[in-house]
Amino acid sequence: MLLEIKDLWVRYKGADVLKGISCGVEEGTIVTFLGSNGAGKSTALRAICGLKAPESGEIWFNGERIDGMLPHHIIKRGIGHVLEGRALFPYMTVLENLKVGAFLQKDREQIERNLQEMFANFPILKERQQQQARTLSGGEQQMLTIARALMGSPKLLLLDEPSLGLSPMMIRQIGKIVKQIHERGVSVLLVEQNARLALGVAQQCYVFETGSIALCGVTKEMLDNDQVRKAYLGL
Amino acid sequence: MGTTIGLQDIIQCIMNGFCMGGTYILVGLGLTLILSIMSILQFAHGEIYMLGAFTVYFLCVMHGVNLYLAVFISMLSTAVIGLILERVLLRPLKGLFLSYVCATTGLSLMLQTGVVLAFSKSTKQLPSLWSGAFNVFGIMLSRERFVAIVIALILTLALYLFLKQTKYGLAMTASAQNREGALMQGINPNVMSAMVVAIGSGLAAVGGALGGSIFNLDPYMGGLAFMKGITLIVIGGLGSLPGAVVGGLILGISESLFSLFFGSQMGVVIPLLLVIAFLIFKQKGLFGHD
Repeated sequence: MLLEIKDLWVRYKGADVLKGISCGVEEGTIVTFLGSNGAGKSTALRAICGLKAPESGEIWFNGERIDGMLPHHIIKRGIGHVLEGRALFPYMTVLENLKVGAFLQKDREQIERNLQEMFANFPILKERQQQQARTLSGGEQQMLTIARALMGSPKLLLLDEPSLGLSPMMIRQIGKIVKQIHERGVSVLLVEQNARLALGVAQQCYVFETGSIALCGVTKEMLDNDQVRKAYLGL
Repeated sequence: MGTTIGLQDIIQCIMNGFCMGGTYILVGLGLTLILSIMSILQFAHGEIYMLGAFTVYFLCVMHGVNLYLAVFISMLSTAVIGLILERVLLRPLKGLFLSYVCATTGLSLMLQTGVVLAFSKSTKQLPSLWSGAFNVFGIMLSRERFVAIVIALILTLALYLFLKQTKYGLAMTASAQNREGALMQGINPNVMSAMVVAIGSGLAAVGGALGGSIFNLDPYMGGLAFMKGITLIVIGGLGSLPGAVVGGLILGISESLFSLFFGSQMGVVIPLLLVIAFLIFKQKGLFGHD
């Protein structure tokens, strides 16, 4: 197991947002956390990255316990996080945003290789590389924030609601990008409200409901089950 | 008034405005970067400026060190003081906003008192950066103010290159624009804080040295410098280097011109009016980030 969460409890201002969840991501897979707003999915990602300290429970990454570590130390261990709302550096150019994504990378040639790879996979970013990030459209910003996370060559990519605010065409594009990332050997943990997108790419699925995991299983089996599909996935 | 204002007066006045603007920029750059990266207003920043001036006084006037060398040493030593300040006072109080206010205000009083005890309250003078004046097409331009402008320009340019071209500079710019985004790239926030306080303090020290040389220095000069820094941030916008530069120049030149035409009292009132105007009409300042 690349990422393992054991009995995690997270509290915000006295209210339990995550109630003892246990789940994981096998190396080389795409896993999705599904559920409606406020179900706790994003909180789980924030806990993994150290942005939110859990009340109790364990988080393991690559055989090392990471809960309680500082965020920049966790990132150093090979996790990339595409935050909800993108968290771009708005007044920095596309190129500068990407360079900051490679902050931990010491090898200059590797950074250049990563950059060229990003430009090849996201040609619109190459075109707009001197533009400030805030001038990009929603879809372009989403691509930039994903590319920025990939500049750090992560082993595990956390994607928080990438489809938010995007057109159906862009959402399909995001799906393709997630598959490409996976093909290159990066494991992906995708948090989504858009079940169609998530189940189109993920192999494993956890359905969150008010802070607990209501259902989990292999995507294909869940889609084959009518009851599950209608009740939990809304499809 | 009675005296006519000639071309020479106006040109000297504008040059003076650039010169004063330069010192304000050296104070304001640190203040705005610290505020945007650490979300704290460093109330002792004016005293850091003052400390920079007194370090030069100590080295140059009291121990005969060459003025320019003394300014350089003061920049470095004050930067180190900034590092210590961040590590000892600011880092332990991370997230406790009111504690920052108390701590930095307290520090400013301590520094003032410390300097009074060490050097007495009297106003002092630093030697001139370059005495005399240039004769440019019949107009006399102060050499020392010219040097001050050049020094401020060089340092501002150096900071700009650092922020745009180096890895840590880009990281600092990023941290100022989106803190969580920066964390998620593996950027260590403590390193960012340490660097910004060190750099800001070093710059303020040079500002103090320039001010002390062109005018004079006393243990309480920091208060006014701090006020100018705040004004500059309001005009130029938070977190923006170009904003700090433009804000400082607007402040310096407008003060100078209004002093010339309407007397020195107007020169003091202008920054206050500018602040009020900007707060009413353009809260983000000219180049402000969110």
